Amino acid sequence: MSLLALEHVSKHYREGQRERTALTDVDLEVRAGELVVVYGLRRSGRTTLLRIAAGIETPDAGSVRFAGEELARARRAVLGEGIGYVRKALRASEEDGVLEQVVAPLLARGVSVEHARKAAWAALERAGAERCAAVAVGELSAGESVRVALARALVLSPALLVADEPAAAVGLSERDGILAQLREFTRDGTAVLSSTAEPSEMAGAHRALTLGEGRLRGPSTPQLAPVVALRRSV
Amino acid sequence: MDKDRARVNWLRYSAPMGVGSAQARAAAVAPMHSLVNWALLGLVIERPSYAYELARRFERTYDQALALSSVSHVYTALATLRERELIEEMPGTLASVRSRRAYRATERGVAEHAEWVVGQVLEERRRQRVLIVQLGALAKAPERAIAALDAYEQACLGEMVAAPPAGSDEGPGTTRLVARLISEETRLTVAAKLRWVQYARAQVQAQSPPRPGSA
Repeated sequence: MSLLALEHVSKHYREGQRERTALTDVDLEVRAGELVVVYGLRRSGRTTLLRIAAGIETPDAGSVRFAGEELARARRAVLGEGIGYVRKALRASEEDGVLEQVVAPLLARGVSVEHARKAAWAALERAGAERCAAVAVGELSAGESVRVALARALVLSPALLVADEPAAAVGLSERDGILAQLREFTRDGTAVLSSTAEPSEMAGAHRALTLGEGRLRGPSTPQLAPVVALRRSV
Repeated sequence: MDKDRARVNWLRYSAPMGVGSAQARAAAVAPMHSLVNWALLGLVIERPSYAYELARRFERTYDQALALSSVSHVYTALATLRERELIEEMPGTLASVRSRRAYRATERGVAEHAEWVVGQVLEERRRQRVLIVQLGALAKAPERAIAALDAYEQACLGEMVAAPPAGSDEGPGTTRLVARLISEETRLTVAAKLRWVQYARAQVQAQSPPRPGSA
């Protein structure tokens, strides 16, 4: 069974007198342990798709199911624990410490400080950011900032991680490490749905799709994923 | 045509080494089109060796990208390279035992190989232009052009997913450096194709006549 299933999802926005179509009749399934990457140009609907998949926004039409349950009904219970959402930029005060940032979601759920700190360390290690634990958020490099944001989402042990352009603002050397980290998360069964404006960042994904004019193209279900490469360069 | 080619091949490979028939000399002047021959020459340039080792190295290096029809394919390819004076037998090897003759590249072989590599870049561009012209021919039927672009995009996505991600371990039969270069070349070229598909689709749609009833 799919962990996440979008069926016939459409979304429109009003911009002044105009109506802009962000998504048109989008179908997408993501299974446990899959890394699915969606590529699209600016204003292609990438962020809208991910926000709807995470339950942050609701579609105008169509359905979104997470673990078999309609997301619109279970939204508050699912976001954070079942689904971890990683924003483009880490929202935090410059003086905040990294560890404070990562423990915050657990403390907000009434977890004891000791247990929260232990879980935060584990999440930072999983995201490859344990060296940043004692650093202030304002001192992080772009790549470290992404890893801390990933740790903050992972601390609640979500089954699905949704990451909006995780490697957008990082340098080339850090980019490869972050993409490798996303693949690593899937080894224990965590599903990852991420977006990118750079098609080369889709290499190594289990499935790659493109989004343009609100339409999602490519293997929208795991069964339809192409298994034979077009050609291999010599 | 095929009969002539077969006759030239028969003469070339049946003639004793060093006899050098007129047909073999004529064949040596003609451009060498075989990708296997060029690929094998690349391996000899990389490291002089004998036929069996070259066949093994060929399989490891060009895994999934190029295939030998059989081990004897290497012997015919080496004979061609030798006739064209692109390789030569290394002195001091056991010339009486065919399988233990070791070969090295000649200066001419190294120079022609470099020239061929550069030519392949132009050939790739030429093929790409031919493909685009074919897509342009479909523009009068926009749905077909879009369908062709969709199929091309699917193939590119499949290739991108199959490409080893940057920073991953090397694949079988390739050195770490070559694996990294292949990985990055695949990612960058397929990425450019995917961007181009989006552009081409927008252009085809912009040229399509509006559908009846649409604003």
